[in-house]
Amino acid sequence: MLTANNLYFNYPTSRPVLKAINLELKPGNIYGLFGKNGEGKSTLIKIMTGLLFPKAGNCTFKGKPTQKRGPELLQDIFLIPEEFELPSVSIKAFEYINSVFYPSFSKEQFYGLLEEFQLQPRQLISTLSFGQKKKVLIAFGIATNTQLLLMDEPTNGLDIPSKSQFRKVMASSVDEGKCIVVSTHQVRDLHSLINHVMILNNAQVIFDHSLDQVTQALWFGRASNQEEVIYSEGAFGGKSLLQRTDQDESEVDLELLFNGVLHETQKINQLIDKKGHGSKV
Amino acid sequence: MVQRFDFNRVRQFVKRDLILLRGTFSTGIFVAIILVFLFCLFNMMWDKQLGLEEFYGIFALVYLPLGLLFTFSLFREFGNPKTNALYLALPVSSLERLVAKWLVSTLVYTIVFSVVALLIAILALIFGIVLFGADFNVPTLFSTSYINIVAIYLFVQPVFMVGAMSFSKNKIGKTLLSLGIALLCFLLLNFLLYAMFNHSLGVFAEDGLGSVAFGKASTQFSIFGQWFYGLIFGPLMLVVAYFKMVEKEV
Repeated sequence: MLTANNLYFNYPTSRPVLKAINLELKPGNIYGLFGKNGEGKSTLIKIMTGLLFPKAGNCTFKGKPTQKRGPELLQDIFLIPEEFELPSVSIKAFEYINSVFYPSFSKEQFYGLLEEFQLQPRQLISTLSFGQKKKVLIAFGIATNTQLLLMDEPTNGLDIPSKSQFRKVMASSVDEGKCIVVSTHQVRDLHSLINHVMILNNAQVIFDHSLDQVTQALWFGRASNQEEVIYSEGAFGGKSLLQRTDQDESEVDLELLFNGVLHETQKINQLIDKKGHGSKV
Repeated sequence: MVQRFDFNRVRQFVKRDLILLRGTFSTGIFVAIILVFLFCLFNMMWDKQLGLEEFYGIFALVYLPLGLLFTFSLFREFGNPKTNALYLALPVSSLERLVAKWLVSTLVYTIVFSVVALLIAILALIFGIVLFGADFNVPTLFSTSYINIVAIYLFVQPVFMVGAMSFSKNKIGKTLLSLGIALLCFLLLNFLLYAMFNHSLGVFAEDGLGSVAFGKASTQFSIFGQWFYGLIFGPLMLVVAYFKMVEKEV
């Protein structure tokens, strides 16, 4: 669906933000794009939408370069940016003026999601809090029913109940034809939502595996034998990341996985690749 | 990749702009109503009439600056880093976006402003008749003066469109400054061309002819000059605006 080939990017007079990025996004998946602050997650998302142009390499969506920003392409891509400002109109007017550009837009779904988020269509967007504005945009983005939905730090500005509301809404919105990319540095917010993890570090993708592959190769829990531990966070109750051998499948601890990958990139990637299931989802 | 130009998307985009800017648009028209009314009324105070040329003078005085200001407000969404990501990610091609913006800032604006100015001038005329006993002389838009004013706007407006797209802060001031510098450069170019082509005539041989050359250069309106500057300030600036739109990154 979306492919990045040997992508390079840097802002004027700055170090490279992205180096030799190779990615392939496939429909039916919810990708979690993780990375520390300033690692290029937002930049990558903007390149995927065609809002930034790669310095080298290319990014294509359905075989066409995204930087052309063709309407036929953008009808199937929706971006929820981290920072945004919505116009001073009612939610209903916002839907009215923007939905016409998306052929698969579902008004029923949009107003259903607004209800879920406890927002009224007649409310003026300018009177809403940032979190509520984000909910309007999330509802709109889901209702566009684009094949690719890109979300940059969608949980920023949401309170705790809204974060679980977000997860619930997202889980019910994904189908086989859609691909969702959620970029965040708050790894825990995506618990039980994503099925594929991508991690950016030092301007490169250092980890790109499905959660199935992760659970096949790794085990999360308390280690009985410290020698088997790949990575451990002693300060947080001693939860560790181990190579899975004969243990039952464990629930993936995204935060532990993220920190583990940052510390033991090569070892973890080798373990997953060695497990032989190799086929990346 | 060849993109299909879709008039329906342009129409929807024009509608979108008008809804988003209805506050700005109505405030601008309200200001225009007050200014045109007052200028017309003051004009009638002295000579008890509102001549056609006087009306066109007032029309141009309000129509041109308001139109240019309106052009800047139309590109606010494009220039604001917090809004341009959503704006540029809308499934509309760069050409369609530009055509929509151009239609709103020229065609829609000109039609609305002309009708409003005409009605207000007639209203002011009625007030003038009642208050000052002014002559009844109905203003009209069917004249070469009106067409000339609109033509000037059509040629100048794309320059301000490019300014609105190019600068992130102090857009109006920077555009005017750029325009001033460009005009100075063209004046100098005209002067050099004048000097080159008339050198054999010894125009600089006598005192004062240099300033004559400058004077002539500043009012050089040969057919070639008209086409040259007409192309630079009109269509060429629209082409520049198109590429600004295509190459815009957020």
